[in-house]
Formats: sequence, structure tokens, C-alpha cells
Amino acid sequence: MNSATVKRFIAVALAPSLILYSLFVFVPVIWSAYYSLFNWSGIGQAAFIGLQNYKELLSDSIFWHSLGNNVIFVLASVLGQVPLALLLAIILYKSNALQRFLRAAVFMPMVLSTVVIGLIWNYVYHPQIGILNFLLDALNLSALKMEWLSDPDIAIFSLIPPLIWSFVGLYLIIFISALQNIPGELDDAAKIDGAKGFTKLFKITLPMIWGTIQVALILCIAGSLKSFDLVYIMTRGGPAHATELLATYMYNATFSTFRYGYGSTISTAIVIISLLLIGTSQWLTSRRK
Amino acid sequence: MSKLALHSPYSMKKTYSIRRIVSTIGWIFITIYGILTIYPLFWLILSSFKSNAQFFSEPFALPNQWMFDNFITAWTTSKMGVAFRNSTLVSIITLLFTLLLSGLTSYVLARFNFKLKGLTMLFFVVGMLIPIHSTLVPLFILMKQLSILNSYWALILPYTAFALPTAIFILTAYLSTIPKEIEEAAYIDGTSLWGVFFRIMLPISLPALSTVSILTFLHSWNDFSFALVFISKSTLKTLPLAVSNFADGFQTDYSLTLAAMTLSVIPTIIVFLLFQEQVMKGMTAGAVKG
Repeated sequence: MNSATVKRFIAVALAPSLILYSLFVFVPVIWSAYYSLFNWSGIGQAAFIGLQNYKELLSDSIFWHSLGNNVIFVLASVLGQVPLALLLAIILYKSNALQRFLRAAVFMPMVLSTVVIGLIWNYVYHPQIGILNFLLDALNLSALKMEWLSDPDIAIFSLIPPLIWSFVGLYLIIFISALQNIPGELDDAAKIDGAKGFTKLFKITLPMIWGTIQVALILCIAGSLKSFDLVYIMTRGGPAHATELLATYMYNATFSTFRYGYGSTISTAIVIISLLLIGTSQWLTSRRK
Repeated sequence: MSKLALHSPYSMKKTYSIRRIVSTIGWIFITIYGILTIYPLFWLILSSFKSNAQFFSEPFALPNQWMFDNFITAWTTSKMGVAFRNSTLVSIITLLFTLLLSGLTSYVLARFNFKLKGLTMLFFVVGMLIPIHSTLVPLFILMKQLSILNSYWALILPYTAFALPTAIFILTAYLSTIPKEIEEAAYIDGTSLWGVFFRIMLPISLPALSTVSILTFLHSWNDFSFALVFISKSTLKTLPLAVSNFADGFQTDYSLTLAAMTLSVIPTIIVFLLFQEQVMKGMTAGAVKG
């Protein structure tokens, strides 16, 4: 088989994937940046306005509030999902039946549609018929009952449990794989040296899976920046932008108020912020080997 | 759990009982956590059998009457049949495209060496970091200009595109573990590259292909954001979109909404229960440095 045939095959084999992928994943990001320089209602002509959208963005209080909400989500994910998943993984990484059942139970939300997850939790939080308030009544803690999703001050925090519930299973399985990959000899060496329990955890186990923890952090950050679905279903970003995220704000700006240019600006901002956060997290957790 | 260790009888007894306490607490915690975590789903399914009245008054009780009718009504009034059909169609076609495209790409990346190989791999990996919502607006505009908005392609194409990186990642990793001798014999026999691809590489990658299949199918089936933005015709709505609309319109008919929700999650739960290992492995692929 001559090299010309091989080259042609490679080109033909790669072409569809590359074209589809660039067209639907990369090009849009670049286009977004391009449209962000325009004022456009979606129909008719787009007016070039340079960086004006960005100027507006920087003084837009809803933008900053949304960013703050995103940061809250990122922190909640990183400080909530990851340690919880790690803890669960340490308990659940062996392979007996109960452990496998529990793993599957924790993972199950990952296969559910975000729509269903959002709706289930809407019911949990419903002020009149929700099981949370019902439970509080039953435990005589009625004083703690709140308008979980309609109180602007706590709404964003109410959204955190569903978020964690949805994704902790992912990190659980990631950490379990990592733990199972730790060579058995290390375990035995640790025993011989007398390292047990917490010492073993901090001095041996964690360092061994540090690489995985870093990757989990990236996924966590990237993922929580993607939490459009949940917020859209549960609160639409309300009440009055209290739970607005960058992604929901972008959606509203574009499709509800027909400001495609401004929506693109928010889009581009999301990409930039995303990359910054990921870069920072990697830098902060890198170890000098 | 406690293996033979070089301990004196005293310390062994002490560590044994402390370990037991900690371990038991750990197990109680984890079992409670397991039950709590599965409760919302359990509650959903149970509640969907209740009448509206009972749902209001006794959220925690078992259904007084098992109202199977809820499901039939939910199916007919929300036209779930149509939504199911749309979701199935879109997911299956996305799946086929993804398998074919990622299969070809992974074959090339795993088996051949060429100048831009590293760059190509990087290209696909970097894409995984792009927040998909940043592509919603430009893709909407692109599809409007291509006149494919409100068509199955409006979903199939982006779904496939976004499924490619993970698929390629999984398949390339798998193919790299297969010894090259397998194709070598075929090459010597004069089989064409395409022949080798279809008759040898694809069948041999079946395990990886099935992981990719489950993953791609689940993501297409459950996607909401793309469907929300790209589809507005009610005859083309996929399941998540249909369920979300349903919940909006029938504010007070809870049993119907719950029934609709249950119907929509049954397929995914069944797939998950049947293919647990593969689903979990697939979704976490690429995250573990093995």
C-alpha cells in the first residue's frame, strides 16, 4: 500500500470529524467574539459598535451579580462535591454488593435529564406542598420554613443541593477508579511502616491521586459554569435576577430581549472567564515534583 | 478488612475496636446518604401513582390507589408519543454518526503517524473545555442562515459534534491497546484500508464502541439547552423539552406532571441499571490518569 493511498485515507477519514467539530464547536466561539462587536436585534442589519458592548458589560450590575452567582456555584461545587465525593470514594471503593449498590444510587442522578432533576427539586422546595417544608413541619421545625426558591436572598443557595446531588456521583466514580489504581504494594508498605488511618490518607493516598483531583477540579469548574439547565428550569434566573447565571443571562439577553450582539458579548465573556478559572485552578494546585 | 499486621496483641486489640467504631459510623453515614440520595427519585415514582388530592395531603405516604391512569392521561395529553419518537430518532442518528466519525478518526489517530497528529489530538481535547452555552447564540444564527433550524439536523449535527471529543478519546485509548499484528495480516493479504476499518477495527472495538454508544445516547436523550434554543415547533420537540413545557402549562395538575416525568426517566433508569459499569466508566473516561 503506497503512502499516497494512506495519506488520502487519513484525509478522508479525518475530514468529516474535523469539519463538523470545527464548524459546530470552534467557529461559533470565534463568531461569538465577532458578533459581540455589533448591535443586532436578530433581524435586519447589524450595526458595528466596536467595544461598546464590553463597556456596557463592565458597568452592568446584572452581569456582575450573575458572575457572583457563578462563583458561588463554582465554590459550592469545589468545596461541596469534590470533598464529599472523595469521602464517599474512600468508603466505597471496594467491591462488595452493598458498595456497588450505593455507588449506583449516588451515580443515578447523572443519567437523569436535568429537566426532571429541576422539576423534582421544585417539588421538594415548593412552599405549600413541598416535602422539605412538610418535613420541617413534621419535625416541629416550622420556624425554619422558607420560600426556598422565591426569596431573593436564599434562592441561589437553595439551588446548591440539587447541583451537588446531580453531580457528586460523577466525581465519586472518578475517585474510585483512581483509588483502585493505587498499587497494592503501597498499601502493604504503609501497613508495615505503621501508617494507618488519617496519616495514610494524607501522606499516601491523597498525593497518589492528586493528578485525578486536579482533573476533577477542572471538570467541576467547567461543569458548574454550565449549569444553565437547572437554574432555567427551577427559577428562570429569578426572582428579579437573584439567581441569574452568566449562561441564563446570556440566554435572556439574546432570546428574550433580542440583543444578539450583547448576548454574544456575554458568551465571549463566559469563555474567557472559564479559561481563566481553569488556568488558575491548575496553577494553584500544581505541585512541584 | 483488617489483615495480618505486625502488631503486638495489645495495640492490635485497641486499633481493632477503634477501627470498628469508625468503620461502623462510616457505614451508617454512607447508608443514610445512599437512602437520602435515592429518595427524591423514589418519591417521584411513587407520587406519580397518586391522585392530586392525596399528593397534596400525604406526600410521604404510599398511594391509596395506584392510579395507572395518570400515565395514560399524561401520555395522551402531552403527546409524549411524539416526543419519545423525536428523542429516539435524534439520539439514534446522532449515535450512528458519532460512531462512524469517531471510529474513523480514532483509527487514524491510533494507528497512523502523520505530521499534524499531535495537533489534531490537541484540537479535540481543547474543545472539551469550551462551555457549550457559548455556542448557543452563534449556532442559532448559523442554523438560521442554513435554514436548518426547527429540523432534526438542528439537533443531530451539534449533538454529534459535541460527542466527538469524548468518543475519540475513549476509542483512541482503546485501540492503542490492540496489537498491530491484527491488521498487519490483513494488509499483507491486500485488504484495503477501508476494508480493514470496517471488517477488523470496528468489530474489535466493540467494548469501547458500546461505551461510547451508551454515553452518546444518554447525552442526546437528556439534552435540554440545545433543544430549547433550536427547536420551537411542537411536533419536533424532544422529551426534555416536552416535559419542561408540560410542567409550565399544567401548574396544578401535579399527578399528571409527575407521571410525565416518570415516563421520561424510565428508559434512562433501565439503561443505567442494565449497563451500570459501562455508563459509569464512559462518563468518567478521560478523567482518571491510570
